[in-house]
Order: sequence, then structure tokens, then C-alpha cells
Amino acid sequence: MNDAIISANHVRHLYKSKAVLEQVNLQVPEGAVLGLVGRNGAGKSTLLRCLVGLTVPDKGFCQLGGCMSTDLSDEMRERLGYVAQTPDLFDWLTAEQHFERIGSLYAQWNQEQAWVLATQLSLPMFTKAKDLSLGDQQKLSVVLALGHDPDVLILDEPVASLDPMTRRAFMRALFENHDSERARTVVISSHLLSDLERVVTHVAFMREGQIQLMDEWDALAEHLRLVQVNTDEAPRGAIFKSRRPEQGLWLVDTRLAGAPAGGRALNLDDLFLELNA
Amino acid sequence: MHMSFSIAPSDPTPIYRQIVEQVRRQIAGGVLRQGQGLPSVRALAQEHAINPMTVSKAYSLLETEGLLERRRGMGMVVATSTERGGSAERQDLLRPSLQAAAEQARQLGLSAKVALGLYEACLKQTHREETP
Repeated sequence: MNDAIISANHVRHLYKSKAVLEQVNLQVPEGAVLGLVGRNGAGKSTLLRCLVGLTVPDKGFCQLGGCMSTDLSDEMRERLGYVAQTPDLFDWLTAEQHFERIGSLYAQWNQEQAWVLATQLSLPMFTKAKDLSLGDQQKLSVVLALGHDPDVLILDEPVASLDPMTRRAFMRALFENHDSERARTVVISSHLLSDLERVVTHVAFMREGQIQLMDEWDALAEHLRLVQVNTDEAPRGAIFKSRRPEQGLWLVDTRLAGAPAGGRALNLDDLFLELNA
Repeated sequence: MHMSFSIAPSDPTPIYRQIVEQVRRQIAGGVLRQGQGLPSVRALAQEHAINPMTVSKAYSLLETEGLLERRRGMGMVVATSTERGGSAERQDLLRPSLQAAAEQARQLGLSAKVALGLYEACLKQTHREETP
């Protein structure tokens, strides 16, 4: 594996004396598109905020491109794009005025590209942000995060309120980076699992503040099987006991020695349900 | 001829494998001929809103298998050494899907006659869709 360009190292974070992140380790190789999935409250947003340095974890640390997330260099800031779960906009400015304002902060801001993307997403350019629908506010946040052609992109449910056509346009835009020397690295949290299946190289499943499972998505799809056995005992190769033993259904990693053959293949939706049952 | 792929992201078969299998079938079936160009990685990825790396992975595998060649200025083309498969080879490529369908017919308690009738109907429908 390449050196990780995004990492979380033994991260623990408390909120109102409850651990929302517990011993989280994450290594994202350069060029990967990592889908971060898990139920509401699993800790996804907090982890993403730690990655970009907006939340300082109680223990452990995160890094982006070799910089501590809590002390990003100007160079790293220039390479980073982030979309928060709740659009973070200036209420009284239009999209066009946002372009001027945000654009002036980035040396690499590409005004023409931002307009092209805005058109692809059908973003109204001359309406004040406070008068935009939630969907249009999300579009604006996405365009602002992509306008300086970042090579590290952290997206927290960026498309939850967008229609399927616009989401396709958004997914295409993820791979439109102009600095082709560097493959863009993306971490994206979303509940729209069939969208993620199109674009991810890796998936990390979070549950109750921990990373339950992370791997290349192709590998998980090829090697994880739901196997029915006739005993109460776990078959060899079983990972995660999410169902009651008497059901005799086990999630098995067929790469492990002695794992039974056969069983049912799972898509991302199926696997999500098994891991959170 | 425009080369088309049908991509089902929610199918548990990984997308790169869906592409590999479709190219393999179309070469064996003579739909794709020697020297014929495939869509560029970027074009195919954009069309289906999928990750370009997935398309690259599929094409590289097919190149390793000797089914595709990289040609300067043209991108990927069907390798000159490939031939339309013999009937036996083409049947072998169809067998796994039919095997899976047979298993499901058994689970559903459908008789062989009913299952065969259904397959025949599907064949006719596909034929109609392709010849408007």
C-alpha cells in the first residue's frame, strides 16, 4: 500500500463524557475513494471533522499529507476541499459572490471550472444563500469545495438532498481533477450506498465510534459471503457475530483458512445491514 | 458500432468484473471484432458515473489475458490474436448464469418445463429489443 495521505491514529473523542470515537485508526492511500458508512450517530461526522482539524480529538491525532490536521500548512490547506454536513455558507451572499469571496482565498481557484460545475449541477447563481433550498445550498458547498481543484477531498454527506440526476453529475465531477499528476484522494460519508458503489475503491464501516471493517470494496464484494450452517457454532472464517446463533447465518471471509465455500454474495446495502444487525 | 456496457452497481459482482465479463462475452460472440476500439477509460467512466480506476482495472486485466491491446493514439482495441469463440467456448461462458438460474428455479419449485418456457420468452424479448 502507498503511504497514507489521510490518517487517523488511535483517535478517541468524548462528547458529554461519552466516547463518540474510540481507538479509531484509519489509513487512506493516495488516490483512493473511501466510502465511510455507518448508522446515524456512529461517529462519521466527528471523525471527518477530526481529519480536517475542526475537532481536536481528546486522544490520538490525524494527519493530512504528512501535516498534523490541527496544524495544517498553507500548502496543505490549498490542497484540501471539505464539505460539512450542514452547508457552511454566507447567508447574504449569492453563489456568484461566494465564488469571488472563496476564490480569492485560493491561489489555484479556477473560476471557469467552478462555473462549468455549477451549470452541470443546475445551481442558481444569483440567489442569496439563505433563499436557496437545502439541495441548492449543498450544491454550492460542493462547488466551493471543488473550485480550487483540491487533491484531498473530505465530504460529509454532500449529496443527501440532491436528486439522482444531480448526484450523477456530482459523482462525475469527483474525478475531474485537472492536476493529473496527482490522483485525487476522497473520503465521503453517505447513506446513499448505491451511489457509493459506483465510485469507491475502499469502504470503512463505522459502528458505535469504531471502525468495524475497512478494505477494498472489490475485495469485500468478492470474498465476503453470507453462509448458512446447521449448527450453533460459528463456521471457520466467520467475522462478526451480528445475528443470533440459532439463525445459523454467518458473515464469512472466504480468504480465511477453512472458510466454507458457497454462500450468498452481498452488495453494499446487504453488507451494511449484516454489520449493523 | 457503439460499444455498450450494462453496469449494475448494486449487483454483488464488482463493477470491474462486470466489464471484464461483458468484453469477454462480446469477443467470444463476435460482437466485438479484431482491431475494434473500446471506449476510453474516461468516456466509459463518465457515461456510467463510475470511478475511472475501475475501468482501468478491467482493461488491464483484459490486456493481461491477451484479449485487448493498447494501441498508440487509439487506446484499447480488441487484440488481433482473438477470434470469435467456437460454439463450445461460447456455451461455456453462458453456463454459469444458467447454472445459477437453474438453482433458483429449484428453490422456487418451478418445473423444468416452466423454467425453459420462461428462458425462451426472455430470449425472444431480448431479440425484439435489439431488432426494433
